[in-house]
Formats: sequence, C-alpha cells, structure tokens
Amino acid sequence: MQESQEKFIVPIGPQHPALKEPGHFEFTVDGENVTSATIRLGFVHRGIEKLAESRSYIQNLYMFERVCGICSHVHSTAFASGVEKLAGVTVSPRVKAIRTLFLELERIQSHLLWLGVAAHEGGFDTLFMYSWRDRETVMDIHESISGNRVHHSVNLIGGVKFDITPEQIEKTLKGLDYLEERTKYYEKIVTTDETFLGRTRNVGKMTKEQAETLSAVGPTARASGVKRDVRVESPYVSYPEYPVNMVLDDGGDLSARFVVRIKELYECYRICREILKNLPEGELSVRVPRRIPAGEVTSRVEAPRGELFYFIKSNGGETPERVKVRTPSLCNWSTISSVAVGHKLADMPMLLVGIDPCFSCNDRLVTVRQANTSQTMYWEDLRKYGVEYYK
Amino acid sequence: MSISLPPLVSMLVFPAGIFLMMLGLAYEFVDRKLVARYQNRIGPRWFQPLADMIKLLAKEEIIPTGVNKGLFIFLPILGVTAALTSALYIPMLGFAPAFSFRGDLVVVIYLLSVMTICLGLAGANTVDRFSLIGATRTLTQLFSYEAPFLLALLTPALAAGSWQISEINTYAHGNLWMILTQPIGFLVALIALMGKLELPPFDAPEAETEIVSGALTEYSGRGLALFRLGKDVELVIGLTLIAAFYLGGLANPLDFILKTLGLLLVVALLQSLFARLRIDQTVGMWWRVGALLALVQLLIIVIARLL
Amino acid sequence: MTTIGAMFGDVFKSLFKKPVTEKYPFERKPDPERLRGKLFWNAEKCTGCQMCVRDCPANALELIVIDRASKKFVMKYHAERCTFCNQCVFSCKFGCLNLSHEDWELASLLQEPMTISYGRDEDIQFLLEKAAQPDNPETEKECN
Repeated sequence: MQESQEKFIVPIGPQHPALKEPGHFEFTVDGENVTSATIRLGFVHRGIEKLAESRSYIQNLYMFERVCGICSHVHSTAFASGVEKLAGVTVSPRVKAIRTLFLELERIQSHLLWLGVAAHEGGFDTLFMYSWRDRETVMDIHESISGNRVHHSVNLIGGVKFDITPEQIEKTLKGLDYLEERTKYYEKIVTTDETFLGRTRNVGKMTKEQAETLSAVGPTARASGVKRDVRVESPYVSYPEYPVNMVLDDGGDLSARFVVRIKELYECYRICREILKNLPEGELSVRVPRRIPAGEVTSRVEAPRGELFYFIKSNGGETPERVKVRTPSLCNWSTISSVAVGHKLADMPMLLVGIDPCFSCNDRLVTVRQANTSQTMYWEDLRKYGVEYYK
Repeated sequence: MSISLPPLVSMLVFPAGIFLMMLGLAYEFVDRKLVARYQNRIGPRWFQPLADMIKLLAKEEIIPTGVNKGLFIFLPILGVTAALTSALYIPMLGFAPAFSFRGDLVVVIYLLSVMTICLGLAGANTVDRFSLIGATRTLTQLFSYEAPFLLALLTPALAAGSWQISEINTYAHGNLWMILTQPIGFLVALIALMGKLELPPFDAPEAETEIVSGALTEYSGRGLALFRLGKDVELVIGLTLIAAFYLGGLANPLDFILKTLGLLLVVALLQSLFARLRIDQTVGMWWRVGALLALVQLLIIVIARLL
Repeated sequence: MTTIGAMFGDVFKSLFKKPVTEKYPFERKPDPERLRGKLFWNAEKCTGCQMCVRDCPANALELIVIDRASKKFVMKYHAERCTFCNQCVFSCKFGCLNLSHEDWELASLLQEPMTISYGRDEDIQFLLEKAAQPDNPETEKECN
C-alpha cells in the first residue's frame, strides 16, 4: 500500500452509473488529477460478423440494423446500398430521398439523445429531462411514418417499404418547427449557462493536429477544425441533390463539441424540409435477385457519430462470404487516452461522453495482449482457444 | 407558544425522535415532488420515502471485508443521533425549544456538522476507491461552506444580541423580518444549507455519474437507511433555523409549515437550475465569494450596532 | 455574456404546467396507423410458396402443410421470436400477411400464448387430432 499512494487507480468499470453500456476504463489519479488512462472494450461482442455468414442477404439486412439502436437506419442503408451496388441495381430517386430523410431524422434523434446524456453526466438533470421530452416529438414522427421508434426497418434490398403521404408531411413539418425553436433555446443554454460552461470549457482540448493524428471522426473531429464529413466528401443516396454544409468549430474542447452538434441539428432541419417539400418521383422498390454476383464492395456513410463503413464480399451465393463493419466510435477512443492526462477525475465522465460513444457498435476484433506481445486472433484460433480454456 | 413535556418524551417522540423522523420523510417527499414538477414530470407519491426506509431496513446489511466493523455499524447511528439531538434546541413546529441555554446556537451548529464528519469517516473507513474519493470530497466541502454558514447564522444572533436560539426567535418575531434587513446573509445561509445537505449543485461528494455514490457506496440496509434519515432530518432542522432567524420567527405550527415550505420551494428551484460544480470549483466559489459576502454582512451589522 | 441559471424561465413555468408523463395504462395515445404489432395471416390467399418463412430473419414463421393440392396450410407464428420487421409482408406476393396496428400489447408470463397457429378451423382441428395420437409415425413427421 506504500508505493501505491500515488498510483491510485479508479476503475470506471464494466458496471458503473456513468456508463450506459459496459466498457472498462482505468484512470490513475493523484488526488483529483488524472495521470494516465487505459481503455478496454469487448464486453458487448455478439459475433455479428460471424453470424452474417450463415444468413441470406435479406435476413442480414435486419441483423445489421440491430448492431446499434440509435444509428440503426444508417447501418441498414450502408448494407443495402452495398448489396445493391454488388447486384448492379440502381434505385429510383424517390427511394434515395426517403432514405435520406430518415437518415437526417435519425441524426436529429441521436443528437438530442446525446445532449440529454451529456447533461446528465455533468449533473444537469433538468436539461436531460427537457431535451428527452423534446426528443419524443421526433420519435413520434418516426413511429407515424415507419411504424417503430427505433429499428425503423425502412429499407428493402432494392428500395424502401412504404411511401410518405401528404398528411405525414404536414405533421413532420410542424414537428420540425417545434424542434427548431427548442433547439435555439438549448443552444442558448449550452453557450451561456455559467455552471454548465464551467464543466465544459477547456475540458478535453484537442488541437487540429492532434485530432488528425489520433484519427478522430465525426463531430468530435469537426469540433477541432478538421474537415471530415462523408456527406460532403463522397456523397451517397440523395446528398448530391441536397448538399450539406459542414459545421466546423475551432474550439477543440467539450463546449465546441456541444456547439457543433447543435448546429448540425439546424442543418438536419433544413435538409428535412427541403426533401419534404420536393420529393422526387420514382418507384418504391426494384427486384433484386436472391443470388448476388461475386465481388467486393465498400460503402461509406456518415453516421451521427462519424464515418461508418461496410466491406461486403460475395462469392455468388445467397449468403455473404464476409461482412466487415468499422464503426466510428472505435476511432474516437484513442482521443481519450491521450487527452485525459492532466484533467481532474470529475471531468472523466464528461470526456467519455463527449465523443458520443456507442459501445454496441464497437466490438468487432478480439486482440489478446500477453505481456508485451499482442496477437490478433481469427475465428479458428478463437475456437481453439475457447476449447482449450474450458477443458 | 410552549408546551412542556417530560424529557424522555421530548427525546423520543416530540420534538426529536419519531415525530422528527416522520417530518423528515415528509419534507423529503415535498422536495422530490417539487424537483420533479420543475422538470415537468410527475414525481413520487406521498409514501415513497417511507417505503424506501422500510425497504432498506428489510434488506441485508453487507459488511465488506477490510473495514473496521465497529466503526462501520456505529457511524450511521452516531450521525442520526447527533442530528436528532440538535432538534431539542430549535423551535420545532413553532413551539418553544424543549431545552434552552445560553450559547445553544453553537451547540446546534456543531451537532449538525457531526453528521457530515460521520459521513466522511464512514467513507474513509473502507478499502473501496470510490468511497475514499467521496470521503475526501465530503470533508473538503465541509471546510469550504462551514465558515460562511456559521457567519450567516451569526449575524442575526448579533442583531438580537444573544447566542440563545429561543431569544433570537423571539427577537425575530418582534421586529422587521431579517430577510429584508440582511439579504446577503439570507442568501449565504440558504446556499450554504444546500452545500451542507449535498444537494445539487453541490453534490460532488455524492456524484452518481463519477463515483457511484461517494462515501455511501458500501452501505446497504440499515446503515444506508440511517444515513438517509439523517440527511432528511438535517433538511428540516436547517430550514427551521433559517426560517426562524430570517423569516420573522416561528410562533405557531401554521407559521412553521408555511415558512419552511416556502423556503423548500426556493431550495428545490435552486436544485434544478444548475449543473453540478466540480469540487475545486465549489471550494473556489465558497472561499472567494461566499466567505467574502458573509464577512461583508458581518461588517455591516457590526457597524450598525456601533452607531 | 454568461448568465447564472439560464433555464430559470422554463423551469419556473413548469410548476404551473401539467406534467408530460403519460399515465399508461390509464391514458393511452391513439395508435399510429403504421405501427407494427402482431402478425395476422389470411389462409384464403396463401399458395404455400414459403417465401415468408425463408426471408424471416428470426425464424418466427413455420408453414405446416396438410394438403398442398387443395391448399390446406396451417401457419405457426412464434411471437416471441418475431422482430416485427415487416419483411414477410413484403415477401408475400399475394398479400396474405399484415402486421396489425391495434394488437401490440403482447407481454405474457407463459410461453404458450406466444405460439399462435393460424388457419382455417378444420385444418387446425385436423392437426390437433393428429397430435393427440402420439404413436402415429406420421404425426411425428408433421408436427416438428
């Protein structure tokens, strides 16, 4: 106990009220100052990539939707676009517009959820309750158009399932007006409330060079001035017709990330309104054969948290040969372990939530560290290791 | 108004003892309901704090390894006892205090801090990291708001010219409400009360999202029930003191209920308005702003008395 | 320009507003039309192509063939496995399936109410009689 006077390790462990999902973080503290941080993930590994190899493409569409609850439609769109590219099928402009509409609606929902959770981590429960109350408006819009609040199941391989009626357009526009007014109010609070700024100002400050070296993506990178947005760099679905303005900020700290996400909400409202007012014509779905021709394809999309990409490899059969998912939260973890040093322990939960972590998206590869060597295991090795371990 | 009861009854039934515990639970309910209404939701029903107490008492008390068993069991009892004892000297429910002697203001303030010190010691008594950090924060916070709190309760005493709570009460009843003549002192006293009770925004020692539950992490069952009861009792006593000093004394039960509930309305509003302050920000704020304001108030009173 | 207590106006007004919490089950909002609830199957139009069974991501549908020539089928629906994704409705070219928007309160304490058999009454009766004769080898083949 003597030499560990300075090496006092606080585990923000798998079970902790700060984390909504399990992940293990160890912070070495000296009083209240953090001197080092380590991260360990892998608690929610469900083996989705392996399961995908034994299901048909149509069944996989729904399984990949369930990788994450908040960004479910993005996963489903990425997979469906990838498979459509492999099959050589183009979908009509109406399908693309409806998919884009849902992508933006989902971004609204995700950012409002994040605002509430971040406020809760900072002890500001009132903002949490109010922003989640307003999030119900967009959840009601989701439910009335698609039938479910999350996991909308909008996509089919080759199109979308349903159309949008004029009454739904009316209702959605009204909902968006209400949300825009409330978002202005939240912007005012997040930038002017003294106690909240005391928690977010100069916390987790990341310069532009640091953000680029640590490979940050999404709003975390844009808050440090890095121009990374897949919707602008390589537009997909309907983004060529409804271009997006990238929202940047050079603060680099936590309050900049709040501001970036709230300003992105305004962009989402603008794009949703444009789409709803000019929905192009087209048929709702195209026939796609069950056997997808052999080939490889990557599809990149911008999830609310950053850049998401899928790699799909087909060998001509009804089930894919390999699907690899690289989610944005995986890239943003490295920003925490370098930036955490020097901050107080009380800032740690705010720092963790500032990158908008989505643990369910994360767990793909398993890396086993033994002393100083690290070894990447493939499926066969894992099976052998498991069998030996339990003998 | 005054009623005289035999000492055993006043310790066990009224004003300390069972009556105070029930009153504490009722005030906790009002506090939680008000905070919920400010956040636009429904809030608990009237028997929720009582149900919580009964549930906690029915659960097993797990004593972790590595702690001093005697201290672990004794500290909650000591804390609650100190809080309940302090009720004997304040005008509970508008009646004159059960016991009264010169200088009992200091004794009451001391007894109220015993509860916080017990909390800090209980947190230091474990091997668990979260409790240690929580205990450190509790004691740090104790050092920061205690002086302004004392000064803020001192200025009415100076104005009344006595250290005895019943005399201050009578003085406040007879003269202009001190909230109007000493507004700064009132503000400091109210906010320091929130710091003492570890209510948001000063709940860094008990921050749920950072250190699970602070000093109370390892407690369960009876120990946790007693600590929570102690906090509720402190809420009642703190509100009574401030109402008695600044809001024109407490003369009868109706007066008591109205004034303390009015204060609770303001306290609940302040709870829902702010984000949690970090412990270093709390200390900074108190030693820069809080203590200064209290000293300014004291100076004003001293000068006014000399003139 | 920073302020202390920026949310004051909203918070204070909330004291006089009704809470937004819905007191379910005493107060219910009306169901949206497109809500995806329990599955219903129409036996008259089914041709037994089993596209729905093949496409279900959760293996929640099972078609028991009694007589293929005269189109007698019984559909077994495992509500506890269903993810309410709507794929079966779109896979069926004859419109036999639909997800109801009124019947969505499906919680239950036992497993039996979750396995629902759809079909014409005589077909279900036929299956039940078959199941009641345990040592008939044909029954084992059909009812698994």
